[in-house]
Amino acid sequence: MNMKNFFYKIGAAAFLSSSILLAGCDPEFEDDRTLSAGSLDLTKYVAVGNSLTAGYQDNGLSLEGQLNSYPNILANQFSYVGGGEFTQPLFSLEQRNGSGYLRLTGFTSTGSPITSTVTTQLAVRGMGADGKTPLLTKYTGGINNYGVPGIRVSDIKIQGYGLNNPQGFNPFFERIQPDNSFQTYLERVSTSAPTFFSLWLGNNDVLGYATAGAFASFITPTADFEANYTEMVNALAANNTEGIVATIPDVRAVPFFTTVGPTFKASLPAAVPAVVVLTKNTPTRKVVPKSDIKDANGGTTLFTLTAAPYLPLVGTATGKYWRDLARSQSPSNPNVALVQYLTAFQIDTTKMFGLSGENPFPSALVLDADEQAEIATATTAFNNIIKAQAASKNLAVFDAYAFFNGIQSGFMLNGVAYSPAFITGNLFSLDGVHPTQRGYAIIANEMIRAINAKYGSTIPTVDVTQFRAVLIP
Amino acid sequence: MKSKFLAFLGSAVLTAGVANAGGYQANLQGQKQIGMGHAGTGLALDQSSIFFNPGALAHLRQNGIQLGVSALNSKTRYREPSPGFAETESDNPIGTPFQVYASYGPSESPVRFGIGVYTPYGSSVNWGKSWQGRFGLNELTLQAVYIQPTVSYRITDKLGVGGGLVLAVGSVNLQRSIPLTAANGQEAGIELDGGAFGVGFNAGVYFEATEKLSFGLTYRSKVDMKVDEGDVTFTLPTSPLIASQFKADKFNATLPLPANITLGIGFKPVDGLTIAADVQRVEWSAYKALTFEFNDNVRGSQRVPGSTSYESVSPREYEDSYIFRLGAQYALSDIMTLRAGGYYDQSPVQDGYLTPETPDSDSRGVSVGLTLKLTESVDLDASFLYVNKKERTDDASKSGGVAGTFKSVAYIPGVGVNYKF
Repeated sequence: MNMKNFFYKIGAAAFLSSSILLAGCDPEFEDDRTLSAGSLDLTKYVAVGNSLTAGYQDNGLSLEGQLNSYPNILANQFSYVGGGEFTQPLFSLEQRNGSGYLRLTGFTSTGSPITSTVTTQLAVRGMGADGKTPLLTKYTGGINNYGVPGIRVSDIKIQGYGLNNPQGFNPFFERIQPDNSFQTYLERVSTSAPTFFSLWLGNNDVLGYATAGAFASFITPTADFEANYTEMVNALAANNTEGIVATIPDVRAVPFFTTVGPTFKASLPAAVPAVVVLTKNTPTRKVVPKSDIKDANGGTTLFTLTAAPYLPLVGTATGKYWRDLARSQSPSNPNVALVQYLTAFQIDTTKMFGLSGENPFPSALVLDADEQAEIATATTAFNNIIKAQAASKNLAVFDAYAFFNGIQSGFMLNGVAYSPAFITGNLFSLDGVHPTQRGYAIIANEMIRAINAKYGSTIPTVDVTQFRAVLIP
Repeated sequence: MKSKFLAFLGSAVLTAGVANAGGYQANLQGQKQIGMGHAGTGLALDQSSIFFNPGALAHLRQNGIQLGVSALNSKTRYREPSPGFAETESDNPIGTPFQVYASYGPSESPVRFGIGVYTPYGSSVNWGKSWQGRFGLNELTLQAVYIQPTVSYRITDKLGVGGGLVLAVGSVNLQRSIPLTAANGQEAGIELDGGAFGVGFNAGVYFEATEKLSFGLTYRSKVDMKVDEGDVTFTLPTSPLIASQFKADKFNATLPLPANITLGIGFKPVDGLTIAADVQRVEWSAYKALTFEFNDNVRGSQRVPGSTSYESVSPREYEDSYIFRLGAQYALSDIMTLRAGGYYDQSPVQDGYLTPETPDSDSRGVSVGLTLKLTESVDLDASFLYVNKKERTDDASKSGGVAGTFKSVAYIPGVGVNYKF
């Protein structure tokens, strides 16, 4: 063989090698994943619910929160299996901060988070007729996501709930309603004609009362809840429309109630055996032994995240809380309101705040054992109603109550630790009640699993790591 | 000769590429053997015996030097657990594992001296910073170059023994994301970077029972690659509270490069045809855990009792594994030899312990090769190896890895040149 032949053969070998390289260099999986909607018709998905459905987080609703709402995540995953367009009442880019929201600006020397409220690029168009509810920029287009922050099951049949009026109204419903409309939320949603729906309502029927420390708001009577919830399910599931409903989480397990109590308990001097608190919306005092403040070692009494600014004042002679309350509730005439509060709750601000019977710790910042029992009873009753309705209409159920109770000790996903801990747990946003975008994505995946299990579909879950948790300064 | 040797070393990129064998082993130590499924422990083929069987080196008739390099082109695909369907493909740099062997001894002497420089372990995998396993790994580069001075002694015409000291130098660079997002949207990360050094040995016995049948047995010891005072670099949000949770700037680590015991048989049934079969046991059980010891706090690490340092321990719990190799070469003419072979390589990674560093599974390799005799003293080797790892799904529940399905393939062309004198 001569040299020419060598090079010919080397060339041929090289050519063969490189053609194999180019032909199939990429690893391939043996089976393509089959995606299917099963028997579901996802051409018109409609989401009904409250702040959770709207994408509320960090104590506000913004464009970013809307874009990362769980219904929007669901709709995007539905699009792989025939899902149709999904329209949300988005804030404009210019007004992307919507209602305003909290952001983390730093930490105190002891490691407590410092937050501030975003007040630029808001979608606020003026003050409402009630003198305290800001009006939000109207949205007039079509809607698939009817999430209205703050709405309760007990609100869905209130006429004028979305009407700018002196008695008060819901600004998030007002923004999507035509001017001068008395239409109820139930009526509005009933015209939506979904082929598939999600319904996550009822949280505020206990949550509003709970986050107010059982001081303000109220728990919806069970009979009212059942009547309204049934009407809503009947409206959405008319024509045997398929859908998913979600239960109400145990509100006591969110960071809003679990974050500051343990720190406060640890900070109390040994000489302080107990604190004195007001209970419900009454002048009745309660003595809470230090051991009864809930932390990892036990106890029951919960302190709200909103108590954080006032806990360092315990033991001093102060009326700061009442002055702040008067200013926020009666901006036009705070001094009159202050006197009313001090009289109604028999407060002597010259005595030791939180440690004396004359100047007890405010009820709104504490959830004591009796208040918690009321909330727990109502939550169980409401969830039984929700599950019974789902069963009667053959709907999928995302049992948020079971889910959030199941993750109390935390879990790992993609090498990230999740827990209900405030900020570090990655699941809850800066308001301590609403999830982070990551948390919403995890919820969306749980819903997809529940839908797949119920209807035999294979809707893909989403990569939750593409959604952010709390931004760290 | 010396200057050429150094020039070659200088030009070679000292990267082994994604391991083509189990774990982070890269079995690419001789172009002729690669063409035969990397079998050859029972043969005295050429100077690569310094690696394959130091006991066979003294049975080579000529002195020589051999230079070889492979282009390791590998890709791994990842798919998240059902019902998710997000996929990612690793963007691995092309690895260039190489080998240099030289031997010398007076022609009538039973003693041969040799030196080998080769890259039996290494890994280079780049998943990027956006895939869902990024908190496990962005990018890993492991390099280990073995330098092995060797002596071989031909006791009789049938029996040879040999051995060499292994000095291993290498480096490790590991980058992963930290689940903390700064206000500007940038995710935090950690980079570990350090040089490594280790010592071991390679010993073998070669036995030519008949003209047609030969045997080899080798033991290559474990080498503990130690990183001392490697650099730790964090990318973090600016808050002092966060900085106080990530204070380390140095780390120590030890990565075991496991021992191998290989039994090989060479069989020459007819003139011109050689068949080789090897069984290789890799003592991967030496790799219990990936442990980083930090000189200060790193969130998630544990304080080492009685010390000022902190450590993070990720269980690996590899198992000993076997590789079965079979290959043949046929001398087509005086100037051309053709080869073919294959192997089956058991994964040392147990269920529950799969990681994106080494998304390993049982693998199959098939190879071809040829040698062209250009002149009396110069041969040219070429090889091509295709590796296909079985698709593997793992929940990674025990390793803190990334749950999902992994599939890897590798295409490895290689060339070598031999100069005999």
